Amino acid sequence: MMAIVAPEEPTTARSDGATSPTSFSDPRRASWPVIAVFVAPAIVVYFGLTAYPAFRTIFDSFFTIDGPGDTSFAGLQNYRDLWHDEIFRAAVRNTFIWSFVAPFLDVATGLLLALALYAGVPFARFFRVAWFTPVLLSYVVVAILWMWIYNYDWGFVNDALRTLGLGYLAQSWLGNPNTALAALIVTHAWKWAGFNMVVCLAAIHSLPSEVLEAGELDNCGWGAKLRYIIIPMLRPTLLNLYILAFIGKMKIFDLVWIMTQGGPLWSTETVSTYVYKRAFNWNTFDLGYPSAIAAVWFGVVCAAVMLLNRVLSSRERLEF
Amino acid sequence: MNTISLPRLFGRGSLAAIIALYTFYTLAPFVWLATMSVRTTGEISLDHYAWPKPFHWEQFRKAWIDSDFAIYFWNSATVVIGAVAVVTLIGAAAAHCLARFRFPGNRLIYGVLFSSIIFPPQITLISLYQILVDYNLCDNLFGLALVYISLQLPLTVYLLEGFFARIPQDLFDAAKIDGYGDLEIFWRIVLPVGMPAIATTVILNFIQLWNEFLFAVVLITDPSKRTLPIGIRAFMGDHFQDIGMIATGVMISVIPVIVIYMFFSEKLIRGMTSGAVK
Amino acid sequence: MRAHSVSTAAIFALAIFATADPAHCAEPQQITMWSNWPDEPAKKDWVSARVHDFESANSQCTVKLSFIPKADEYAQAKSAVRTGQAPDIFYMEPDQPEFLAGGYLEPLDSYLAPNSIEDWAKPAWTYNGKIYGLPVEAYTVELYYNKDLLKKVGVDVPPSYQLSQSGFTDLVKKGVAAGITPIAQGVGDRPFPGGFLLFESLLRKLGTDDYGKLLNGELSFQDSRVIEVMTWVKQLVDLGAYPKSFSTLKLGESHFYFYSTPGALTFPDPSWFTGRAFAPPESGGMPNGFSLGIMQYPAMDGGKCPNCKTLSIGGSFVMYSKGKNKECAGALLKSMATVENGTKWMEQVSLQTGLKSDPSKIKSVHAEYFRDLNARNTNVTYFFGTPLLYYRAKCAETYTQVMNNAFPAGLISVQEAADKMDAACHKS
Repeated sequence: MMAIVAPEEPTTARSDGATSPTSFSDPRRASWPVIAVFVAPAIVVYFGLTAYPAFRTIFDSFFTIDGPGDTSFAGLQNYRDLWHDEIFRAAVRNTFIWSFVAPFLDVATGLLLALALYAGVPFARFFRVAWFTPVLLSYVVVAILWMWIYNYDWGFVNDALRTLGLGYLAQSWLGNPNTALAALIVTHAWKWAGFNMVVCLAAIHSLPSEVLEAGELDNCGWGAKLRYIIIPMLRPTLLNLYILAFIGKMKIFDLVWIMTQGGPLWSTETVSTYVYKRAFNWNTFDLGYPSAIAAVWFGVVCAAVMLLNRVLSSRERLEF
Repeated sequence: MNTISLPRLFGRGSLAAIIALYTFYTLAPFVWLATMSVRTTGEISLDHYAWPKPFHWEQFRKAWIDSDFAIYFWNSATVVIGAVAVVTLIGAAAAHCLARFRFPGNRLIYGVLFSSIIFPPQITLISLYQILVDYNLCDNLFGLALVYISLQLPLTVYLLEGFFARIPQDLFDAAKIDGYGDLEIFWRIVLPVGMPAIATTVILNFIQLWNEFLFAVVLITDPSKRTLPIGIRAFMGDHFQDIGMIATGVMISVIPVIVIYMFFSEKLIRGMTSGAVK
Repeated sequence: MRAHSVSTAAIFALAIFATADPAHCAEPQQITMWSNWPDEPAKKDWVSARVHDFESANSQCTVKLSFIPKADEYAQAKSAVRTGQAPDIFYMEPDQPEFLAGGYLEPLDSYLAPNSIEDWAKPAWTYNGKIYGLPVEAYTVELYYNKDLLKKVGVDVPPSYQLSQSGFTDLVKKGVAAGITPIAQGVGDRPFPGGFLLFESLLRKLGTDDYGKLLNGELSFQDSRVIEVMTWVKQLVDLGAYPKSFSTLKLGESHFYFYSTPGALTFPDPSWFTGRAFAPPESGGMPNGFSLGIMQYPAMDGGKCPNCKTLSIGGSFVMYSKGKNKECAGALLKSMATVENGTKWMEQVSLQTGLKSDPSKIKSVHAEYFRDLNARNTNVTYFFGTPLLYYRAKCAETYTQVMNNAFPAGLISVQEAADKMDAACHKS
């Protein structure tokens, strides 16, 4: 078992060994009032501001609401319509592609960057800050910057291609249904690589150095070291990063909304943008349908996360 | 600390090239943004990549004073700092309890709190708005802060619970023998030991809330209570995209985030690297 | 200790909130008003002046006025009306029927002076015989062009200012040959501009009745006349009529593209073109001395109505039906809807209005522009409304993705586009 020991520890024990009235024989049990004190604030916030609105929404998904007091029970009609909705299908497909594929990119990049830092490149501190900078920028900024970078006429990508003589490859990256989704994935990965790097770095620091040194002494090649030592030991961390990235991408909204709004031809439509459109842009006050989408999606993501956990194995926790 | 040597697969040269390329890839857009923040939109439209000449520092003054960025900045600061402080406290308390104590319903509560990360915010938006109205908190920074707390709570609990669960039980056993009460244990042991994780969640929460946009737009309508992301949007109006001012506004918005990051990342790294291995 | 300072900070922060401004949901004698146009100085000034005049003349009413970008204003309004928190007066365009359907708008007949609105503007906001909105901004869909560039590539504009169908094709070919983009257009941040050329041409081919049927979903896109026009437009698209950056170019950028860099031959845009064009050049306006011309959209071969043109209502102000200060709000709207104010709008904003106005009293530095605009609008048959005024929900979304974006961008064929539009819009 690996752990981090605190720099300071509680010191003197009571000499007479008397137990105070509040101690129990099993330190992992606490009295209900104590538990309540710790957990109650979180639960209150959760129920009041997360659970209640969510349940209200799911409840609404069984109705069609057209105005104040004008509610008619729609039963499962919303869900039936959802099944046949081709825009929803496109959105699900795009979101799945993003969520299953992109986290590999994210986590792999983070790991490689962390290794580079750990292995002692010069100016590591500078790089650590530099590579983390994109994480600090808001989605609005990232979207604007990358829209300018992808700009057909004067964007950096096309300019670079033209200078390299590859002008024929230049195109409207966000305007072409074949490249738009990939372009968004690159932008999103650009933003988050630094975060994965920091977490991986922390995890690597907490690995027992004897094992790594042993690998060094055995003259393991880099590839072997990576495959047999580092990745297995970091597995819980990598898995958690993957799941966090996965969930984040299942929910993605801001970036897509500002850059392409789901276009062109729904090639970048995600579930969140579709929900927003149905809730705000569909010329109706009916929240029943978008609520149905949200409810279904919630179920899908939960199922996917549980599946991932099972498939990618041990449910160990995030380590720092 | 150097227990891995650089790979022999690549020569030093090509490794340096890759790192340089990646650093350019990461930093160049940001540097470009910084240069645009001191150029006027006219200048930018003529040549997008030129170096500023002259440096239009007055754009910062224009944004800060004329475009009310000072107000938006303080609104954002109040709401976000408050929300992050509270959510860290509440989240840490809940995480500690869930990680440390065995009681029926422990995993259920954890699962429930975690699963709410998944719910798309657009849907709870209307219901949340209704709740705030019912409690007379609409168009109010306090209401917005409450919403922000609820937004970040699941993630905070998830990250902290994972870390706190790894803190060796011996620490707690020793503390109990010493006669520390549960609350004291929380203050004096869990929080200091958990500082790397707490620092990470503070950074993450701050970044996400500082840039949060959807709820701020809908829940705050009084211009004097707007937050910074809304202020920047004003430059992206229907009429004309004031690129220079957008860049300036964004730079103003980014600086506090960088400051918070620098402050907390030191704690984070110190916590990570000072650990000895059991 | 660190832990203590964290809790102190939290308490301190909570204290700040508790003393912050309480909710500002309703206050006697003060009405709230949300307007659009935060970045269009002429329109913003007109609205501010009207509010100012009203407050001076009515001491018992005060107005809290905010300018909010349209997308945000809509998001806020949609949330606010459902919870009783909407402002007394807010900005709306006629393409949001759900507010009417939900009963959130107050009929204005009893508040406005009779005959303060142009007859042709009334249908946009009339529902069950009552008027629900004050149509401040009106516009026609025009085709602007660069006189100098057209001469340079060798295109002659006839005295009727309307090219024939083949004449327009010729214009496109000549522009492409000279390396000048024939039609400046961008759909990066709007759901409608890409459809202008196509739908204006459809209007002229079909005439007002059938075009109306098309927009109401009663005429199929497979109709031979529709296919003919679409095929012609596709031909232009394939020749290279639109900019390569069409899909991502923003509306404001497309203005700049037309009259500044890199320049284009023509620019389909409603007459609100002046809102950006007449701004100072440093702020993105037309350069001084730009040779602006206005022409009619090309006449279609065998077209039923070459003199047809689209007229529509844009920005309007509506009253919240659940507001608490209807007298003041009604009085404000009444004070805005006068002939004098309508004339001021046309003068200062250089744009048409649905309010009654007196064209003879307009004194504007852009007199020549107005002369041209009026000349293009004499002897025309108006069709009221743009496609998005009629299309809703899935049909609107399909229009935005297909007719506005994919089809002019050359991403899909005529048949595919027609099929998708029919699937979403045709009532069978």
